[in-house]
Amino acid sequence: MLLTPDLVPTVVATGASARAHEHVAPRFRVGDRVRVRNHNPTTHTRLPGYLRGKIGTIEQDYGVFAFPDTHAHGLGEKPQHCYSVRFTAREVWGPSASERDTLRVDVFDDYVDLD
Amino acid sequence: MPVHKVAKPESEAAIRVRALEAILTEKGLIDPKGLDALVDTYEHKIGPRNGAKVVAKAWVDPEYKKRLLTDATAAIKELGFSGLQGEDMVVVENTPEVHNLIVCTLCSCYPWPTLGLPPVWYKSPPYRARAAGDPRGVLKEFGTELPESVEVRVWDTTAELRYLVLPERPPGTENMAEEQLAGLVTRDSMIGVTKAKTP
Amino acid sequence: MHGIHDLGGMHGLGPINPEKDEPVFHEDWEKRAFALFAGTFVFGGYTVDEFRHEIEKMDPAHYLEASYYEHWLAAFEGLLINHGHITRKELDDRVAQLKKESH
Repeated sequence: MLLTPDLVPTVVATGASARAHEHVAPRFRVGDRVRVRNHNPTTHTRLPGYLRGKIGTIEQDYGVFAFPDTHAHGLGEKPQHCYSVRFTAREVWGPSASERDTLRVDVFDDYVDLD
Repeated sequence: MPVHKVAKPESEAAIRVRALEAILTEKGLIDPKGLDALVDTYEHKIGPRNGAKVVAKAWVDPEYKKRLLTDATAAIKELGFSGLQGEDMVVVENTPEVHNLIVCTLCSCYPWPTLGLPPVWYKSPPYRARAAGDPRGVLKEFGTELPESVEVRVWDTTAELRYLVLPERPPGTENMAEEQLAGLVTRDSMIGVTKAKTP
Repeated sequence: MHGIHDLGGMHGLGPINPEKDEPVFHEDWEKRAFALFAGTFVFGGYTVDEFRHEIEKMDPAHYLEASYYEHWLAAFEGLLINHGHITRKELDDRVAQLKKESH
């Protein structure tokens, strides 16, 4: 496709959602306590290093999306659930962090296991 | 006597972009006028005034606010904002108990349809590192101080959801019209580094 | 990959120093670089994830000191060459030619 000026408004208004329309069963439910896998590939991932091995809680299931780890390398969409997971600041950064503050990170099925 | 202007030498990046654009145009793969239209759209047509309208409407219309917090993509689309880098939106509400802060530690993900393109600081290493690890230090650098009784909740935009903060409605704004209220909503308050302006 | 881009929580990167009322683009070339994303995405055959990974593979020192749209430029060059739309030689030759012309 050639992006000509007349096509720009449609491209801008539509975008390109990564949401997948396959029905895929979620591995987790809201409220589940999960531990982040020691997932450390040399290839693309959207799991930040600071989360590896940390324990969090599933707060929301956003539905099914293409999985970046495979999608970046021509290995397919491997659609799976994406969740908002809650971590306490102390869990992530240690005891000198704020007692009350939290992090919410978007995490895929393949990044965590039930704790 | 006319002032003699010394032209800045063209940077390596500028030359490389020119080279790329030229080659791709010659191959018929891109249309420079299409690129012009994109630039015009994001330089002049899409920006934080969009997000400010969303926030102001949520402040005056409780039913809209409910829709915004339940299905942000649909509610934002009601006002005509949608699309590229905002296909799947989440709006997070600031309250007296919770202050939200948005970051993309891994790159620069940002809700373009409501906020336009991100500022340089949002995309730079200091913010990306410290918003996650030292959010209160970041807020302080922007002049925002919060008591320890408030939870600072940092959202790291690691997937394709895009986040927008719904700032608290400032006190003393009870009699303001929606349009005036939108004027109090700054881009920085929708990222979460500041609160909304007071009248 | 646990590369230089994986910055969350890193110490020592200094103050944020936000620019007041900054323009959307600081240089003309940044405008072209910005537009080249959508311009090349629609034919390029690459995903946004692949685009991000291309940036992650940048030399770490260059990554940290380069301006933002230089990251995009690095990605475009890699992606367009890897997907066979341009060659390294074509690009290098043109860059050399443009440099000669501007001196």
